[in-house]
Amino acid sequence: MLTKTQNVDGPAIKKAIEGRDGKMLSSFYADDALVRVIDRNNPPSKPREIRGRAAIGTFWDDICSRAMTHKVDTTIADGDNLAFTQACAYPDGTKVFCAAMLELKNGRIARQTVVQAWDE
Amino acid sequence: MVGDQKSSVRAGTLVRPIETRYALSGEVRIAYQVVGQGSFDLVFVPGFISNLDLHWEDEGYTRLLRRLCAFSRLILFDKRGTGLSDRVDVRHLPSLETRMDDVRAVMDAAGSGRAAILGASEGAPLAMLFAATYPERTRALALYGGYAHFHKWVMPPERLEAFITTAETAWGTGATLPSFAPGRVDDAHFAQWWGRFERLSASPTAAAVLARMNAGIDVRGILPAISAPTLLVHRRNDVRVDPEASRFLARKIHGARLVEIPGRDHPIWTGDVDRVADLIEEFLTGQPAVADPERVLAALLVTHTSDTAKLGDRMWSERSQRFQETWRLLVGRHGGRIAGTHGELMISRFEGPARAIRCAAALRDAAQQIGIASAQGVHVGEIELRGAPVGLTARVTMQLATHAGRGDILASRLVADLAAGSGLHFVDAGRISLDELGEPLPVVQATSEQHLEPACRPKSKPSEPASLTARESEVVSLIADGKSNAAIAAELRLSEHTVKRHVANILLKLDLPSRAAAAAFSARHAGPDGP
Repeated sequence: MLTKTQNVDGPAIKKAIEGRDGKMLSSFYADDALVRVIDRNNPPSKPREIRGRAAIGTFWDDICSRAMTHKVDTTIADGDNLAFTQACAYPDGTKVFCAAMLELKNGRIARQTVVQAWDE
Repeated sequence: MVGDQKSSVRAGTLVRPIETRYALSGEVRIAYQVVGQGSFDLVFVPGFISNLDLHWEDEGYTRLLRRLCAFSRLILFDKRGTGLSDRVDVRHLPSLETRMDDVRAVMDAAGSGRAAILGASEGAPLAMLFAATYPERTRALALYGGYAHFHKWVMPPERLEAFITTAETAWGTGATLPSFAPGRVDDAHFAQWWGRFERLSASPTAAAVLARMNAGIDVRGILPAISAPTLLVHRRNDVRVDPEASRFLARKIHGARLVEIPGRDHPIWTGDVDRVADLIEEFLTGQPAVADPERVLAALLVTHTSDTAKLGDRMWSERSQRFQETWRLLVGRHGGRIAGTHGELMISRFEGPARAIRCAAALRDAAQQIGIASAQGVHVGEIELRGAPVGLTARVTMQLATHAGRGDILASRLVADLAAGSGLHFVDAGRISLDELGEPLPVVQATSEQHLEPACRPKSKPSEPASLTARESEVVSLIADGKSNAAIAAELRLSEHTVKRHVANILLKLDLPSRAAAAAFSARHAGPDGP
């Protein structure tokens, strides 16, 4: 599989997110990865959790099905830790901003925490 | 109706205004709102009528929407001709196909490539039509109280005419409520909201025309074309749509799963909203809803009424019903919420103990006026926001109410401590042992001095019984016999209102805080001919 050779790093994530490539994105995760989302509706004491690559694949497929723009702005890498910010906009002008912190294990994302805010 | 808005705001249901946007569908503007930022989109197709802004003023509606937008990006809209969307020419009604296309237009405007579609009631056939027409844009289908054929499962033509006549002649008064949510008819606040809901969602003509148009719905033919995973939810005793309607859908939509739940009120935002939200969440996310640990600190008031005067079944039932209506009204007026009933115990919840006590005092007066006995308990503690209060705080409050004497408001000492500075007065009432508490609970009795003894009133000289008129003396001695205003009125052949005036005058003249004090006064001054 082509994606197996794809390194998980800032530029790869930026390219996949901005290109709304759900398949590529889900290939970045370890089989037992955990994504936690914290926002107004999912507070820190009860974050929304997406477990396993299959569920994470659906998660990215859903997000990538939206006709919206994503711009990954700042990527910081430090060993097995990676962080980036993401500014998104829907066609009606609604904006979303996310900050994500990732932990890599054997070159794949094992754990990711996303904090997001949006216009409502 | 300004009062409705005020109380909604006070109750915290109107958390913040949600931005309303407009999507262009052909030449018609469709109002929509987007809430939440879950990973997938969920489009809510409402039933008969809707109004995006008004939804947020109803507690049940808000609860439902908050639950749904916690796991999705929830897209709400008003169908053309209703709510905040453009009105349509009633002589040229949009077809079901046109209205379905409004869903697509809203999704396009909101940037939704594909979405789960939730259709409630009349929104269900529309959602099914969308799923059959745009399978690639339908992630999943959730149908609540839905149907494929109006006349077969909602109402036959002859009943439809009667419904339309009601809609045309009494639109905006809430007259259609019994046809949708009979369980909420006695809830005066909700009934008023329903009237506003009618007025602000459609004009009388539009309502009648919409009803007639919905009556033409028959989407049975498209059911086999639905390929999206489908969940059907129907309340077993739904008064509006026969549950058989969803059973039929379950047979005809490939792989559809039907869950029948208890309840008879039809609107999706009434009844056990959390049960419906749980099912939808589990179906759409693949994971059971995380038990909602929402606990809040609240003051609970339990009001217990009883027929101590042996009124007889009929009179008791009439008075009890009258008191229940008053209870709902007074709880709302004091900023509280109805939390449910438990036999003859009525439970309400308040944000602060002083409000609960003030409401209890008003309820005590109301019970006296109606002519039934009340006993109340107030306690403060953490309660679960979901469902009827069943936790320790609720159980302690219920036991306080059952320990309270007639006309008494028995509260835990904690209530008195927290109400310091509120101007309320309490007297120590010792301690009582409750089943679940290791140590006896210190309790107090709330007195209603503040109503009758304004702080600035000059101290009058001790009164003499002679200052009472003959009629007032008669009333005092009957009070001393423990009789209610209603009983005194019957005995003296006066109206209850007159007796109430006499009682108020007596308390003023004698400078006494309560009926109980008047009774004690009467006992102290009783001569051979009474006071």
